[in-house]
Amino acid sequence: MKFIVAVKQVPDTTKIEIDANGSLIRTGVPSILDPYCEYCLDLVRRIRKDGDTVIAVAMGPDQAKEALLRCLEMGADEAYLLSDRAFAGADTYATARTLHMFITKVCPDYDLIFCGEQAADGNTAQVPGELARMMCVQQFYYTKDIVSKGDHFEVTQDYRDEERVCVAQPPSLISVSEGDINRYVPSISQHIKAKDKEIRVLNRIDLGLGMYSVGLKGSRTKIVSSRTPDVGSECETIDGSDPSKAADRIMEVF
Amino acid sequence: MPARKLESGSPYLSDESKMTGRADMLYMPENESEVIGILKDSVKNGRKITVSSMRTGVCGGAVPEGGDVLGMEMMNGAVGIGKDDCGFFIRVRPAMTVNELNALISKKAFSDLDELTPGAVEEAMKTPLFYPVDPTELNSSIGGNISTNASGPRTFKYGPTRNWVRRIRIVLSTGKVLDLKRGDVIAKDNVLDLGEGYAVRVPSYDFRLGIKNATGIMASPDLDAVDLFVGSEGIIGVITEADVYLAPWHPLISNIMFFPDDVSSYGFVEDLRDSDVVPEFLEYFDGGSLNLIRESRISDPKFTGMPDIPEKAGSAVFFDLPYDGSVYGSYDVIGKIAEKYGGSLDDSWCGHEQNDRQRFFAFRHSVPQSIFDHVAKIKQKNDVNIHKMGTDMSVPLDKLDRMMEIYRETLKKYDLRYVIFGHIGNGHLHVEIMIKSMDDVDRAKTAYRELARAAMDLGGSPSAEHGIGKLKNEYITMMYGEKGAEEIKAAKDVLDPTWTLNVGNMVIR
Repeated sequence: MKFIVAVKQVPDTTKIEIDANGSLIRTGVPSILDPYCEYCLDLVRRIRKDGDTVIAVAMGPDQAKEALLRCLEMGADEAYLLSDRAFAGADTYATARTLHMFITKVCPDYDLIFCGEQAADGNTAQVPGELARMMCVQQFYYTKDIVSKGDHFEVTQDYRDEERVCVAQPPSLISVSEGDINRYVPSISQHIKAKDKEIRVLNRIDLGLGMYSVGLKGSRTKIVSSRTPDVGSECETIDGSDPSKAADRIMEVF
Repeated sequence: MPARKLESGSPYLSDESKMTGRADMLYMPENESEVIGILKDSVKNGRKITVSSMRTGVCGGAVPEGGDVLGMEMMNGAVGIGKDDCGFFIRVRPAMTVNELNALISKKAFSDLDELTPGAVEEAMKTPLFYPVDPTELNSSIGGNISTNASGPRTFKYGPTRNWVRRIRIVLSTGKVLDLKRGDVIAKDNVLDLGEGYAVRVPSYDFRLGIKNATGIMASPDLDAVDLFVGSEGIIGVITEADVYLAPWHPLISNIMFFPDDVSSYGFVEDLRDSDVVPEFLEYFDGGSLNLIRESRISDPKFTGMPDIPEKAGSAVFFDLPYDGSVYGSYDVIGKIAEKYGGSLDDSWCGHEQNDRQRFFAFRHSVPQSIFDHVAKIKQKNDVNIHKMGTDMSVPLDKLDRMMEIYRETLKKYDLRYVIFGHIGNGHLHVEIMIKSMDDVDRAKTAYRELARAAMDLGGSPSAEHGIGKLKNEYITMMYGEKGAEEIKAAKDVLDPTWTLNVGNMVIR
């Protein structure tokens, strides 16, 4: 079997703070492999058998290699970085299109494509659906578990009010929304092996994509304006020099 | 200036030692001249003053024994940034916490600070930097860290707080202000002359500079005045400002290696120390510590945020390495040593993304947390007087094997359950006695005293990083004799002639 895992490097959103103007402060915020992508790799690690191939692919700048390294540590056999200045500013559609071309060119004989449900820094949750549509395969959103049943798979989907177990016939696309909170930790040996593997870099020309198919130019999302909604909250500064008085005031507000 | 009466139960009457003290008033100065005013008034009125900031100490250093409390919280934040021959430094007010300093550095929020040397801000913006002292409790204040010469795992490579202090401003109880930069005032003929008649005789005892030691004020023939105050537990002056150096940052990779039993971990550490590999720190968990984590994970599988500890693991060693091209050569060496002691690079965890590295530290901190939880449970179930009993002793590295034997023999003799973890790279392990009943407490106290004696006889320190405070005064005389204690008192007589400041810490009149 051949599994493709599409991953993304994101800023660690748990460390992002907002400045007085409501803008994100990104300085000093480390980049990480998106947590949803880790869930994918964790599931793939569990269903893969000897002889199977796991291919990790990310679109991003050169520094995204660090996220791909983590994929290799978590059991990916091959890693590809889709990197080109022309890819910058891609919306979900242009991203899905780039991934679609990569899969068609490099690994058309895949069995399952895994995507994180959404990226922690964008939360659009559209790439898996768009990619499934372009690849003309069935998609399984809200996946929290998958088991191998020989020539097919059983996927557990969590719709919050309903949990469904479905048959997924290859080729299919699995969009993963949940995983083990105690995330997998590789061993030093796995790290060394991963470091020895090549991360192949492919650009727009390698993928045979036109200038107007990728990045900002290939995007269908056109943002007219963007603002933080005023949720009508009020802020009161409480003098903390007398903690018990301050606590009383806080209780009063509650 | 905010001031108010302290009522019983106030957090200002206690710290992490869980001792409870007594005091009448809390003064919260906002600047140095208010500190001077309070101290002068206190001396005039014969009132004692205990300096307090984040109260994270574990020996009662900030717990008042009468008099009033000087709460430094309003004197917080960073003031400026500069650069000299030793590197970049940040000028901080005493209550700035290590967490706040780390956040300031990682966000590079330097532009609002005073530029103390020309071009420092612009250059610092371009340079990756970090503050190398990790006192474990990151909510502790820099002023408190300096007063206790705080150390932690990274002391293995970077030394304690002392090594990173460039300059301090001190207010004496007489109201005199000292502005001391490292190198400005050095002891001559065993006397530190601070001007205006303030001449302090340097204690004659052997401070044991070769080991981790937080027992007593520092002593050496060429003592720098800055070092007299660093680690003096606030008994000779109040810190109102300090310059601390930063180090060039480099990426790190965190590793935990598992071994079949305790002895194999010691062997691994010993060989590693003899090799060319220089980890940032070396931390040890014995089998008991790992079992304690396993137990905690039964009720809360997310307790450490890590996967299950491998079943066959009987001990573990945690270390960081510089994450550059050299790391693979280091792994070669480490792999060979590990195999000699029943470990391997397969039986390990490693992480280089920052969120992963934080998980490793959470795993490390889960040991003391588990002990704390265990004691709290026993306390509730058996006896409210039961408390945590942990050692803080260091010995020279070549004596660590012997000290480990002594720990085992002594604790077996007194029939006590224990776990051992901590800074094995510095010969400084924490032995936590798992108290079950009040009967255990008495035996543990006797055992503790014997262990402290043994550590000192091996050339070590009974208090390597926690300090003396009000809990361990007896160690001063145990280690330096009556003469040593008298020499510390003599220094206090000169700088705090009315014995106003932090009375009860370190020495008792």
